Amino acid sequence: MVIAAPITGIAETATSPITDKRWHRLVVPGVVIIAIIAVGYAIGHEVPTWLDAHVKAKVDQAYQWTVLHGDTNWLFTDVFDPIGHAISWSTDHLLSLLRTLRWPGVLVLTALIGYRTGGQRAALTGVIVLSGCGLLGFWDHTMITLSLMLVSVVIALAVGIPLGIWAGLSDRAEKVMRGILDTAQVMPLYVYILPLVVVFGIGAPAAVIATIIYAVPPAVRITSLGIRGVAGTSTEVGSSFGCTGPQLLLKIRLPLARRAVLLGVNQVIMMAFGIVVYASLIGAAGLGNDVLTGLQKVDVGRAFAPGLAIVFAAIAIDRITTGQRPQRIVSDTVASRPGALLGRRFMMPLLAVGSLIAVAVVAKLLKADHFPSSLTVDVSKPVNDAADWVGRHFRKGVPIVGGTESFSDFVVINFLTPARDLLQHAAWYIIVAAVAAIGWASGGWRLGLVCGASFVGIGALRVWDLAMDTLSQVLVAVVISLLVAIPLGIWAARSITVERILRPLLDVAQVMPAFVYLVPVIFLFNVGRVPGVVASVIYAIPPGIRLTTLGLRQVPEAPREAAISFGATPRQELLKVQLPLATRAMMLAVNQTIIMCLSIVVVAALIGAGGLGLETVYGLTKKQIGQGTAGGLAIVLLAIVLDRITQAWGSRSNRRAGAQTWAQRRFSRGPGLTL
Amino acid sequence: MKKRTTRTARWLLAGALVAVAAGCGSDAKKGASPATDSGAAGAPITLAVNPWTGSAVNANVAKVILETKLNTKTTLLDIDENATWPGLDKGSIDAVLEVWPSGHAADVTTYIDQKKSVVKIGLLGPDAKIGWYVPTALLKDHPTLATWEGFKDPATAKLFATAESGDKGQFLMGDPSYVSYDEQIIKNLNLPLKFVVAGSEAALITAIQKATTDGTPLLMQFWQPHWLQSKVKLTQIKLPDVTDACLASAAAKDGKFACDYPVDHLFKAASAKLEAKNAKAFALLSKIQLTTDQQNEIASMVDGDKMTPEAAATKWIAANPAIVAAWLK
Repeated sequence: MVIAAPITGIAETATSPITDKRWHRLVVPGVVIIAIIAVGYAIGHEVPTWLDAHVKAKVDQAYQWTVLHGDTNWLFTDVFDPIGHAISWSTDHLLSLLRTLRWPGVLVLTALIGYRTGGQRAALTGVIVLSGCGLLGFWDHTMITLSLMLVSVVIALAVGIPLGIWAGLSDRAEKVMRGILDTAQVMPLYVYILPLVVVFGIGAPAAVIATIIYAVPPAVRITSLGIRGVAGTSTEVGSSFGCTGPQLLLKIRLPLARRAVLLGVNQVIMMAFGIVVYASLIGAAGLGNDVLTGLQKVDVGRAFAPGLAIVFAAIAIDRITTGQRPQRIVSDTVASRPGALLGRRFMMPLLAVGSLIAVAVVAKLLKADHFPSSLTVDVSKPVNDAADWVGRHFRKGVPIVGGTESFSDFVVINFLTPARDLLQHAAWYIIVAAVAAIGWASGGWRLGLVCGASFVGIGALRVWDLAMDTLSQVLVAVVISLLVAIPLGIWAARSITVERILRPLLDVAQVMPAFVYLVPVIFLFNVGRVPGVVASVIYAIPPGIRLTTLGLRQVPEAPREAAISFGATPRQELLKVQLPLATRAMMLAVNQTIIMCLSIVVVAALIGAGGLGLETVYGLTKKQIGQGTAGGLAIVLLAIVLDRITQAWGSRSNRRAGAQTWAQRRFSRGPGLTL
Repeated sequence: MKKRTTRTARWLLAGALVAVAAGCGSDAKKGASPATDSGAAGAPITLAVNPWTGSAVNANVAKVILETKLNTKTTLLDIDENATWPGLDKGSIDAVLEVWPSGHAADVTTYIDQKKSVVKIGLLGPDAKIGWYVPTALLKDHPTLATWEGFKDPATAKLFATAESGDKGQFLMGDPSYVSYDEQIIKNLNLPLKFVVAGSEAALITAIQKATTDGTPLLMQFWQPHWLQSKVKLTQIKLPDVTDACLASAAAKDGKFACDYPVDHLFKAASAKLEAKNAKAFALLSKIQLTTDQQNEIASMVDGDKMTPEAAATKWIAANPAIVAAWLK
């Protein structure tokens, strides 16, 4: 069941009408795969002991050296320490600026930014949602979190956009960066957070650097995509008029890629919010801390309230930076406006700033230092009550299906354990050969090579069995996620009401820190791998649903109308017209679901999933940085293999549709709310 | 293009104006320090608070005394216990008042023994004890489970079986970072148990709460002192006595550990820079000691009566002036 999909992939290739040429193409890879198996058989059933990259020992050595000698080395005293100090200085001052504006001022600022990027609607939504943080009683902590986020975001953009431009202009740069970006995005934070603390210091510096590492990839990718998306004719016109390289970039490419760059800004912010709780592990105060306190007391409500505040802050910032308002094209009428309007154009910013200062001053005079406590709502009690009720009624004794606990055992016994046994007991070379074969069938010999080599790499990291354990869990989680997401996505595509109901729920599922729902999940399901799978499913279904809906919505009207006019029932129209035409988006949904499941492997390990996730947790909790790094790299390799294979499926069906998978993919990645 | 540049410039100018205005409007609190008992203010101190109530209690007791008696501004920093050590090393954290030695042997070697950037400043007072636990209610029907020998019987051990542990009984451990000899104990005592990691303390506590609510069997690693001990009834299982040979095998990491966990003497640690930075605070922090009962008393004000740790500490200090005075001598 679990690996059925890839296998049918091969079967399809093999049995589809084979021309002579096609048949010839099967020979070489077939021989290679037989050769892999033969060599593997000669080596033995287990990963051989000489296949060892010694990652663990090397990393541990480097870490120990850093701890003992970091203080006196010039790299630390002259480079890292000043960086750390500069970051602390920035976050401190930004926080005092936010505090000086006081809550009315911050809300006005939100409204102004929202108005400028997205008009009245964005301004209003931003203000209302951000007020939610205050209503929950977390205004001050939200400001602490925001100051950290904003500093991280500014630096991430300052690094990411130039890199993105470079990647957009140079294929070689793009190739080199791709691997690094994949690693930065998938490598679990637990692996490198303690080294960052050692290098940059506890609190803001390490937290900001960690956030930057995590948030830079979307900035680079989306900028590069925007630059590449600029039509060739535009640049050709530029060249023919004699533009120099820098002129082409500054006057044609960048302005035309402006929308993509703005989207990059938005995605960076959303990614940054994904790290709030981790940042608090290393001494960055704010909302993350409140979530951890609730978790420590195993108090669902107390973790949920700050979690919700994080969601509100993220949504508010998302809405005021998405820029829904139609963007003015650079060369619009600004240049040709009569001089009379010049005054007004100068007035607007002045007016905005003036009102901001006025509000801040009034707030100061009225001593509106804290968000009025009379307005705050305590949600923790109702949440706890609700969680208790669910826990009492769904764990067992539900007619027919039993309850969540028996479901949990059912999944372990029938899916998780057999899948793990299959992957762990199979000889390692068989798995390598199978993965290489799937890669080759999906995207040609290059991909086959990458896949096979990645799995050999996992062997060399000395974490083979753990990787197979994690892979089995990820596959089960992906299957369950898709079984939930695709029907819901189809439903949402066919009913606007369903979509309206789902949208805020998906936003919450995507931004709510997983730490918040760990406790209820363990309470409902037995400790072990199932809670981990459930947490992955919660995290992975939003992109699945969104992409399915998007794909179906994007099916052009013409074929649908044609089908209807030929008397197709709604069911036929869905199954025979819409779904086939939306294959590309569906493949994208599969791809994103897999990446999401892999990116939450560590969190799953915190509730009993074990596997590679637990290895990386040791990176922080047992100071086994080497062990953590090996586990983290293996997760990255798994992600690369699964990502490239499913991407290849997408672009294969894409060739017919003629659109740009990669673009879609990147635009929808991350806890972005852009879809 | 030029128009765009000027537009950007205008907004930058506007932003600068806000910043300036903010600077002017900034609350000038400098100089207005709170009135306190004694003389000159000491250099400000940062104390680590690790994520459990005991740690918050000790740190808050110290904070209140430092601020009211020594006129030393004290910041409490919530931080993971492992990230605390690099903080002490750099001096960005001045002290941590409750270290569980079992989990930090490597840190003690690296920072205290080798690098000497962190110093031990005495024992905190309470002793901690890790052990094997079952819900007390379970012993009514299965009295043999009070000692480890009761688990030798596969049929009894099977009471603890779950989907994850298969035929064997499940032994549950919480946070993988905590010290654990459980796998060795199981193997060396030949018990039909399977070691399962819950992944975090929260996961373990949830499992315990479930087991005690439902009355289902559960065998796990747990410890004293812990706030949960006052909420649910748990019984520690008697493991073979601690012997010198057993401790030696723990130190040698030879995998032959087969006895109960030794007692943990909680200790305090400070940055090596603290004594020079604020000698009075260093002296106070070195002297602070709480008994297990005293710590529990304050902790129950926090966990039971829902007071903030600072309010609880203030209340306890007001009620125990003699103890505090002795620390300040």
